[in-house]
Amino acid sequence: MNKQINNGFRTGLIFGIINIFLILIGFPMVAGTIIKDAIHNDSTVLLGLNADILDMLIFMGLIGLWAGASGGRRLKGEVDTWLDALASSASSGFTNGLLVGGLAYLLGALNDAGVRISVYLAAILPATIKQLLLGKNTLDGALLEFGFLFVTGLLGGALGFALRGQWRKALGDWWKKIWSGFVNSAWVRKIRSHPLFMPAVYALGLVILYIIPQEAGKYWNYTLGTVGIYVLLGLGLNVVVGFAGLLDLGYVAFFAIGAYTVALLTAPNPHHLMWSFWVALPIGIVLAAAAGILLGIPVLRMRGDYLAIVTLGFGEIIRILATSDLLTPFSGGPKGVSAIGGPTLFGKPFSSDKDFVYLIMIGILLTIFVTTQLRSSRVGRAWEAMREDETVARAMGINTLTHKLMAFAIGAAFAGLGGVLFASRNQFTGPEDHNLMVSINVLSVVIVGGMGSIPGVIAGAFALKGLPEVLREVQDYRVLFFGALLVIMMIWRPEGLWPSSRRSMELGKADDNAKKNSGAPGGKP
Amino acid sequence: MSMLEINDIHTYYGNIHALNGISLKVEKGEIVTLIGANGAGKTTTLRTIAGLLKPRQGQVLLEGEDITKLKAHEVVYKGVAMVPEGRGIFARLTVTENLDLGAYSRTDRQNFAQDLERVFTIFPRLKERQKQVAGTLSGGEQQMLAMGRSLMARPRILLMDEPSMGLAPILVESIFDTIVAINKEGTTILLVEQNALMALSIAARGYVLQTGEIVLLDSAANLKQNEMVRKSYLGIE
Repeated sequence: MNKQINNGFRTGLIFGIINIFLILIGFPMVAGTIIKDAIHNDSTVLLGLNADILDMLIFMGLIGLWAGASGGRRLKGEVDTWLDALASSASSGFTNGLLVGGLAYLLGALNDAGVRISVYLAAILPATIKQLLLGKNTLDGALLEFGFLFVTGLLGGALGFALRGQWRKALGDWWKKIWSGFVNSAWVRKIRSHPLFMPAVYALGLVILYIIPQEAGKYWNYTLGTVGIYVLLGLGLNVVVGFAGLLDLGYVAFFAIGAYTVALLTAPNPHHLMWSFWVALPIGIVLAAAAGILLGIPVLRMRGDYLAIVTLGFGEIIRILATSDLLTPFSGGPKGVSAIGGPTLFGKPFSSDKDFVYLIMIGILLTIFVTTQLRSSRVGRAWEAMREDETVARAMGINTLTHKLMAFAIGAAFAGLGGVLFASRNQFTGPEDHNLMVSINVLSVVIVGGMGSIPGVIAGAFALKGLPEVLREVQDYRVLFFGALLVIMMIWRPEGLWPSSRRSMELGKADDNAKKNSGAPGGKP
Repeated sequence: MSMLEINDIHTYYGNIHALNGISLKVEKGEIVTLIGANGAGKTTTLRTIAGLLKPRQGQVLLEGEDITKLKAHEVVYKGVAMVPEGRGIFARLTVTENLDLGAYSRTDRQNFAQDLERVFTIFPRLKERQKQVAGTLSGGEQQMLAMGRSLMARPRILLMDEPSMGLAPILVESIFDTIVAINKEGTTILLVEQNALMALSIAARGYVLQTGEIVLLDSAANLKQNEMVRKSYLGIE
């Protein structure tokens, strides 16, 4: 019992802190607006509360339910009774409510005293505070807020308890039966064993990929393109970091080389070469790969932290070189290069945002194909061994020097491809497109998604580059949001959103395996 | 011609003179052991032979062929495999993947299944654990895996660095039995050990290493009787 209540308090504390954070960046109000757009557009008034407040309350209520359900969850090795569930969810709701109510009171009191909080926290306008206090005066509003979260917490706990009883088991069994019945039924089996089944699935996938940009508008195509370029970059860096285990913080350098190659070869200024995009594309990729080898040679004997620092420097060098006075006549300097040429297809321009989504998709598919082939090849195995233990890898007959260079070159080639597409799509590139944040973002995509996992990298790019686009309202706090997400991810899901089978094996099941073996009769020799 | 011959090797760590003119010979089909205290240079000798360290002076000959200048990965292709100190297994890969990497230097992949079967016959426990992540194996199993992995390369000579390290006495015995079995199948072995008694009981000949120099070489039987060896390494007064 004590253990559960303890857990309730702890959960309430976590939820409360997260809630405070969300409120400080104005998220509940944004969520309220989204709910409003999604459900209704009229201004309902209920219980004397107007629509804005109601919508915000819906969001806060969901969080409250979640906090209660999580706080009142069943603990391993503890008896699970109504009383325990309610007591612990109540303590969770109480803590959560106390923190949020306290914040509401504090903000209200400051506002009443005439402090303009929005000067320090842009999202906290007087109207927002009013909304947070449910339109009441400071004390009443804060108490109501507290009470609301307390009650929803209790409700969440009760709901959680009810749902995990017989009821849930019955539901689960029913679903399992339906599903296995479906999978094992004669006609499903027949279809699945048909030789054309997998090709048909792939074809369907391609059709869907074809349709999406057609249906999406200009804005969404632009966003998709940005996400896609990050998928490309992430897949490339995944080869270096995930497969070969080399921490490269200067990845943006190769991206920049790709971008500048297409820029200088196709733009009217500063060189007026005006080459075709299709000629510049392979040149950009090859130059980036060559730069990868060039960077690789001096850092071959470095490991871990040292490698990270040196690559970091390399990434900055490229950007600073591009802005330097020395290279300004050559590279366009701080102003960058504009009017970069786009691709043409059969004499027609092929460079709308939609067209680029297709180009980027082709690039991604190509990258996926190459990386999956590589991973299962001899080279992939060598990278794996090298990542685990370089010295032993050498003692297995693996030439670690050439394999490191290969990883750098291949990763850089994909970054070069990404850079070419990026610059050509934007029709502009400048030094600010190639700062350190790009390297960090790409690395985060790989880590959040799941190191070494290809679907993971794709999921990571959507989570880190797509989500902020969707949540445009919290753009100002994107970096904050990003940081919080990274911290939460690393604590709760260190293996990433969609880990490779290997990583999940290491971080999750490995412990179970060890336990199983030591427990088995005669397990340890 | 000896399977392995090293002549007057001098190896340095920076300015530290670790090996001061080591020479030794291992004949084909032999088990030869290199014993000595901590820091005597046993591991350094093995690493020099394997090409992981470069000697400033001296020669390493493999059946008469000079392999001194070869890089570590090239030495493996010549038929020298190593069971590294502390086992050096790839802890995050499965047992099968570890064994697969052991065969990395092999160009005749078609014999892979056959070799795998051979390793599993020698170490049945590895077969049971095939799909398991190597880091979750017990110490003894990890040593078996390290040995099995080195056999996957079908080496002409196997360099073993302290196979008994950190293992329970009963396991040490079974590991040494396996070393003898591997040797009987035709693999030449150079064994580095601190457990001198065990090493001398399976080896034909032994070298005693002290601060980077060979101070004694003799048949294993004679070394066991040698007063200095008994005092210093066997702990018998």
